[in-house]
Amino acid sequence: MSPGSLKDRLHERDRRVAELGVYEERLDLKEGDPIAFELLYSRILQSVTSAHEVARLVSASPMSRELGEIIFGLYTPEGDAVALSRGLLIHIHTMSRMIKWMIENDYQDDPGFNEGDYYFNNDPYIGGAHCPDQMIVTPIYWEGELVAWAGGLTHTPETGGSEPGGFIPFARSRFDEGLFLPCVKIAENDRIKRDLEILVERGIRSPIFWLTDNRAKITGTQMIRQEIKGLIEPFGADNFGKACREYIEDTRRAAKRRVRTVLFPGRYREVGWRGSVMPRQETLLHGPVELTVSTEGRLVLDYQGMSPAGRHPFQGTLPTIEGLVMNVLIQHLFYDLKHNEGVLMVVDLKVPEGSAGNPPSIFYPTALWGITYGAGLASGQALSRAYYAQGYREEVHATSALSCAYTAGGVDQYGRPFGAHNFEFAAAGLFASAVADGLDTAGVEFNPEGEMGDAEIWEQVLPPVYLGREIHIDGGGFGKYRGGNGVLSLYQVWGTDEIDVGGFGAAPIFSAPGLMGGYPAGAVYMWVGSRTNIRQLIEERRPIPAGEGEDPETPDFVRQVAATWELVHGHNRVGTPARPGDLFTAMTGDGGGFGDPIERDPELVRRDLENKVTTPWTARNVYCIAVDPDTLEVDRQETERLRAARREERMRMGIPAQQYKARERERVLCGDFPPPVARMYHAVLGASEVFQSAFREFWDLPEEWRMPDPDQLAQEMA
Amino acid sequence: MPEYPRELIADLLRGRLSSDEIGGLQRHEKDASRFQTVLAVEQQRLGWTDRILLCLQEHLYVVQRPEGSRTVRCECGHEFGDYRRNWKESALVHERDASDGLVYRGPRRADPSWTVLREFYCPGCATQLDVEVVPRGYPFIFNFQPDFEGHEGRGEAE
Repeated sequence: MSPGSLKDRLHERDRRVAELGVYEERLDLKEGDPIAFELLYSRILQSVTSAHEVARLVSASPMSRELGEIIFGLYTPEGDAVALSRGLLIHIHTMSRMIKWMIENDYQDDPGFNEGDYYFNNDPYIGGAHCPDQMIVTPIYWEGELVAWAGGLTHTPETGGSEPGGFIPFARSRFDEGLFLPCVKIAENDRIKRDLEILVERGIRSPIFWLTDNRAKITGTQMIRQEIKGLIEPFGADNFGKACREYIEDTRRAAKRRVRTVLFPGRYREVGWRGSVMPRQETLLHGPVELTVSTEGRLVLDYQGMSPAGRHPFQGTLPTIEGLVMNVLIQHLFYDLKHNEGVLMVVDLKVPEGSAGNPPSIFYPTALWGITYGAGLASGQALSRAYYAQGYREEVHATSALSCAYTAGGVDQYGRPFGAHNFEFAAAGLFASAVADGLDTAGVEFNPEGEMGDAEIWEQVLPPVYLGREIHIDGGGFGKYRGGNGVLSLYQVWGTDEIDVGGFGAAPIFSAPGLMGGYPAGAVYMWVGSRTNIRQLIEERRPIPAGEGEDPETPDFVRQVAATWELVHGHNRVGTPARPGDLFTAMTGDGGGFGDPIERDPELVRRDLENKVTTPWTARNVYCIAVDPDTLEVDRQETERLRAARREERMRMGIPAQQYKARERERVLCGDFPPPVARMYHAVLGASEVFQSAFREFWDLPEEWRMPDPDQLAQEMA
Repeated sequence: MPEYPRELIADLLRGRLSSDEIGGLQRHEKDASRFQTVLAVEQQRLGWTDRILLCLQEHLYVVQRPEGSRTVRCECGHEFGDYRRNWKESALVHERDASDGLVYRGPRRADPSWTVLREFYCPGCATQLDVEVVPRGYPFIFNFQPDFEGHEGRGEAE
């Protein structure tokens, strides 16, 4: 490389940051003319925001158009984020990683960087979170010098994997997940290469989404390029570059101040869980986090003890967990700062090599993020405890929903091959906070401003039609403040004889933990009804169901429709052929609860009953509230009696912790655990000395104790 | 930096603020005196002679006892011991197999062969202080070890 190459500049940038701990030593421009400094930033922000708003309308994918699964950003020549639009916030750093990867791998020499070049990447080991996350970056030149990068990212609903819909819940390797294009030049001189389009047309189902998303990103990045050149002209390239570096440094300083001001220093621990349900292999995945809030204003997030990577897609790459953590921090801590590289500079991430958050090779599938998402959300709970201790209760919250939906593929209602997933989980239930209930049908952690999309849009894209879309009654975790309820939709297969329908996203575990006495959201699930009499019901103008209704034991659709009903406990269902008239459900996920449920204000329960988002059963049995089901009048005296009785019951059922530990220690000594749990302990204790040491100490285990390998035991038994 | 009336913060703690008022607190720059204000509100409400050093979590406080030790105390007065030891070690524990049908109905019950609920109650007042989602055999999660010295030093530095 020649001196002054991008690679040299990147290494110089790394050395400067490592040695000085700052991005830019002096804020000359900010201090010289703070108003001009902020005005320029607002123009940059405007350029990426305009790109976001226009580009989404260029795409034919509902993910980009309706849901806002799209984001644009401006980057320094070395690849550091300067400004991001709204949208898919977890990608603050993924495009940055892509640019740096190309620089490190000498792309400047071959294939070379030129004005009008567009590079595409969806390799999550380079940047991104999984195959559907597709980014395009283009260099911006001024007087022959590369002065910045513009980037855009979308989430496509189809990737050409072994199952339709991009999420591939049964992927056992990267090669099941679809078409990966790692940092490939897809356009030159502002023209898309035709051979690349043919590759996509013949490589995946429903190529229209991928191809029009590419046009959207090229449109958006062109808009940014044009705007930025307009800003450089009066300002000068050197000054512009200096300003970009100052925005990052200014943000770093602000982020450090924020940590020092609003969080109580100390060590915080939470645990996230996810599970993989594969044919003949069930694996529970462990996602612990220890957050250290330092007095100097740094955050250290240590994921020591995370389950090892495996042959399932419920794991993520290092860029994924990095993105998820930054996503949590941007939304819950740095929400009013400039969203750029500066916020990353106060954070240290420790993700064990070989773990499900940092797999040992690029061949491990990552379609569903899995435990990286669980651990990322657990990090948000840890942050909440630090806010609580410092007194900022308005920022304290339980866990966001585990989101899920359905996938489908085959031949669509227009007779074309198709593959896609529904994405209405952008309206999952939000977490409860320390001062208010979680919002119903509100959003997802990774795209807080995303929309669920109109039902009619989904009916255009996917053959199933909606019989109903309802608030998932009692979905949110119970608590003094309850978690938000997500959505449960009931679909009917229609218009095609050739369709596979699957689910994704979860083992039968609690989906979103509660906080400080609140319960988690329940497990997620799917119902599938085949050989139904729905056509007959419609022809005879008899009532047809619109959803689950109030009794999850016997849902409305099971009562009203004669069918062979299958309950999928958890949300993993392999894409299976369905026929017209088959019914199935999918749910978006619900938020965790906060605080002891029997401290819930009876008025809040009365309001929920009035709105039909909770049930009389829950009011009495969980919240211990006596309420007249007809008038909804609360009997305060009886409520007090029920709550006193519940406290007495707890005193009877609860056993002293030391007694509990003595009992459970025997179970541990014998290794007496169900297979998914035994498999998890065996793997994690073998991989992490830190977790092993803590585990041994807690249970006071002898030195010679080893957790038996359940799979080996099973083989020996056989 | 804004400063808020003590009554407003007291209402925040008691859950008496409207969503607009909560939104206002979230949108504006944080009040630097919040930590001290919250302690003062809670000290007055609970009427303890021992000084509250920290609101550890819902219902639990770290208080300074006369002989100098720092202990975790429930709102009801029950003491859990030194704050450097996990208070859960002195709680009542109930491991709930969610298939008992008492909290979760139908398919919302998690499969107990994957995860169970571990409920921690105060031995003094039976308040449910925490619910862990864990597989059987998982060590108690020690959620929070405060760094008092660092916090005091940080205040001086600022």
